[in-house]
Amino acid sequence: MSGAAALDPVVARPGRMPLWLRPRAAWLAVPGLLFLALFFILPVIQLFGVSVRDPQTLEFSFAGYRRALGATVYLRVLQNTFVIAAQTTALCILFGYPLAYWLAGLTARVRSRLILLVMLPFWTSALVKAFAWLVLLARYGVVARVLGAISPTGQAPDLLHGRGAVLMGMTHTLLPLAVLTMLPVMLRIDRGLISAAGTLGAARLQGFWRVFFHLSMPGVAAAALLCFIASLGFFITPALLGGRRDAMIGQVIIEQIQAVLDWQFGGALAAMLVGSALLTCLVYDRVFGLSVVAGDGGERAAGDWLRRIGLAVLAGCGNGFTWISEAAARVLRGHRFGWVLPCYAVLLIGFLMIPTLLILPMAFTSSRFLEFPPPGFGLHWMEVYFGSPLWMSATLRSFAVAAATAPLAALIAGAAALAVARSGPRWGRLVFAVFLGPIIVPTIVTAVAQFYLFARLSLVATTLGLVIGHTVIALPICFVAMVAVLKGHDWRLDQAAATLGASRLRVLRHVTVPLIKGGCLAALLFAFITSFEELTVALFISGGLKTTLPKQMWDDVLMAVNPTLAAASVIVLAVVFALFLIAERLRPPSTQAGRL
Amino acid sequence: MPARPIARRHLLTGAAAVLAAPAIIGRAAAATQLTIGDNGGPVGASFREAFYDPFEKATGIKIVNVTQAVDPVAMIKVAVDTKAYTVDVHLLTPTHCYALTHPTNYLQDLDLKPADVPGIQPQFLRSNYMGTDVWATVFAYRTDKFGGKGPQNWAEFWDVKKFPGRRALYKSPSVNLEIALMADGVPWDKVYPMDVDRAFKSLDRIKPSIDVWWTSGAQSTQLLQSGEVDLLTIWSARAQTAIDAGAPAKIVWHGSVASLDGWGVPKGAPNVEVARQFIRFCSDPARQAAYTTVMRNGPTNLAAYDSIPVERANLLPTSPANRGSMLLYDDDWWGPNFSPVKQRFDAWLLEG
Repeated sequence: MSGAAALDPVVARPGRMPLWLRPRAAWLAVPGLLFLALFFILPVIQLFGVSVRDPQTLEFSFAGYRRALGATVYLRVLQNTFVIAAQTTALCILFGYPLAYWLAGLTARVRSRLILLVMLPFWTSALVKAFAWLVLLARYGVVARVLGAISPTGQAPDLLHGRGAVLMGMTHTLLPLAVLTMLPVMLRIDRGLISAAGTLGAARLQGFWRVFFHLSMPGVAAAALLCFIASLGFFITPALLGGRRDAMIGQVIIEQIQAVLDWQFGGALAAMLVGSALLTCLVYDRVFGLSVVAGDGGERAAGDWLRRIGLAVLAGCGNGFTWISEAAARVLRGHRFGWVLPCYAVLLIGFLMIPTLLILPMAFTSSRFLEFPPPGFGLHWMEVYFGSPLWMSATLRSFAVAAATAPLAALIAGAAALAVARSGPRWGRLVFAVFLGPIIVPTIVTAVAQFYLFARLSLVATTLGLVIGHTVIALPICFVAMVAVLKGHDWRLDQAAATLGASRLRVLRHVTVPLIKGGCLAALLFAFITSFEELTVALFISGGLKTTLPKQMWDDVLMAVNPTLAAASVIVLAVVFALFLIAERLRPPSTQAGRL
Repeated sequence: MPARPIARRHLLTGAAAVLAAPAIIGRAAAATQLTIGDNGGPVGASFREAFYDPFEKATGIKIVNVTQAVDPVAMIKVAVDTKAYTVDVHLLTPTHCYALTHPTNYLQDLDLKPADVPGIQPQFLRSNYMGTDVWATVFAYRTDKFGGKGPQNWAEFWDVKKFPGRRALYKSPSVNLEIALMADGVPWDKVYPMDVDRAFKSLDRIKPSIDVWWTSGAQSTQLLQSGEVDLLTIWSARAQTAIDAGAPAKIVWHGSVASLDGWGVPKGAPNVEVARQFIRFCSDPARQAAYTTVMRNGPTNLAAYDSIPVERANLLPTSPANRGSMLLYDDDWWGPNFSPVKQRFDAWLLEG
């Protein structure tokens, strides 16, 4: 990254900052902070307030918490949630690391193409993916038939309705996140260091484990944190793919709020969920430092003893793996397994694409049900989709909401990113913490909290309410993308233009904007995509009257599962894929293949 | 107001203001228009065909149907609390009615008497609510697994030795407690008031043999249609959808647990007279018979069977062939018991 080197001295010595920016840059983050304070932090705090008040008398009461902690069932569910999240995280890292490593070694061009495929499941609705797995792994599904044919008993095991299916579904969804978080850290590792280690006598494997693996650890840690926190809020996948023992806390919160209308208890559960997510982040920050999540790489001052323990653990891991792999290498007598990694990577990408590819034939089917393989080709369900005013109005609303969300989020995030790039690290840390908040707090909690606030502001069942809600959800991703763009920008070019006599406006118009335009547009498109396929907030804010496309798909699943669902998801997928393609084209190569 | 209003009511107030806007605009034409909240999708379309369009034709009053949220209770409470009525008549189940009348009454007394709606069975009628169709939880089995000799009642559903196969139940205590008692030997007409401990003991026996706990109606259709399970509890109309599509399956009506879809009006709503007129219109046996051509639910006016061909009647919960041991889900029992029983059920699911 050419820009990073140029930027650091500027930040370190504010005296060199161009004068016109100095007093104002920090202020640029203020609109964003206010927006998030009003529509994210305030509602969440309000929800916690509800959880400690008696709904009838409004007096202070811990009844919600007493119930949550008193009945073992909710503690069991909470424990379940943590165990499933930890298992998912471990699987994501385990399977994602080799893929990220492989991607890091490719040329930028090939890499960006492949990342598009890796990202597909991330942008496919959880609902659609779950149904695709239900069809594929069914008792008489394709996989079971193949397994039955090769197994000696002729009986295929039950692939669904258990912990295994839940973990597979969740890992499948979050693996792209893990890969894309580890990748930038790996890309920054100077491969020359491994060669250097080699010239000093390190074996190939030693070079990898002691140097590369060690240096990639910050990325692994960041990926683990993001996966873990994202896992905590899952509710669709465990409900559809899991068995009776796989209940997660998100399902219980939705039941309490939507079906039982118990805000106090639902709020208490939500507070416990957020509390545990924050605790995870806090511990993480003490051990590894949160800035890693934002892609700051491993450059951090060696801090207190906790952080040193963290580093020691990482080093221990490296040494352990070195020992194991050396032992393995001795047994295998130097046989080279260079082909294993590419094969593995291609297989894994194939696995990631399965549900998405399955949707196509299920949409163009002649069957009345979601079936694979389809009994025949038919356009009936596409006709149903395009002929239904319900589906069409939902689709149009999704476009409208996303079209309003994207510029709003891009503007707010862009200003804040500029503030971070051009002001001191202390301010930057605060802005970062607030802007990453909507990732740390599970979306289900944000959605419930916003519903509570928006109902008072008359924003439930309005397009404006949806836009505000989606902007909050889209801000982190947009912000991180913008920060990356601005980091990649060489501010010395602006300075050079200024010393040559260009006015501020001229610098902005002819130097800054043209250079960062692509990246900003990409961030805007990410915000659009996020809004376009967002379900959780829409579930609460749309109020049944302003249905978005993902919400309509959700309703459809409750009412009738037929291939219209697949037809609609083909449309969503086509839109998202096209926009993603454009976004990747627009991003400058230095930030491409980088963050989400 | 000296004391601050209840938090939830406060919240609902806001939501109502949103919902109010179109109502104020639409109110000018109040007398010639009726707004109905139904569940949208195929349900809304079926109601339009069987009831709304004929009503428009008969009276000249236009019906606008809107999709209400999955749970209309909150929507009605908002409307009544803020006096901002957007919907004149709501499609409700007796479970909704219970939630809307306890502890505070949110439903308009319509003064409906049996004489107003001749032919409607008395158990489907209340002063503030009339059921228009009956849906029932039954069980269905795959005939490719059991042939014609599948289980015939809940005790046999529970008998995993005699009828081995993959089973599915609804992931909620509702109905499961009832069928567990019947499986344990309680006659269908002696189920209420329920012995909860006995029901859970009976559920303990079947628990290890339940492979899938389904959560949405569509999922249950999928389970039966794809053969994912061999027998399961399912809403009869849902099972019929799978059978109509060619799934080799059979419905068992013995000990079916029925509930209603019907009409209720928010307390204090402005259009009560027209609403009442519409509700009475829906009791017409010819309309109810027409509804069964699109939706396989049973009429609440048994006179409708006079004009329903017998092969279609055999698919409906209230037909003479099927209603012999039909149990009506008791919301008065469930109302106060649901929350604690649900907590126990959730805990029970996680055990073992």
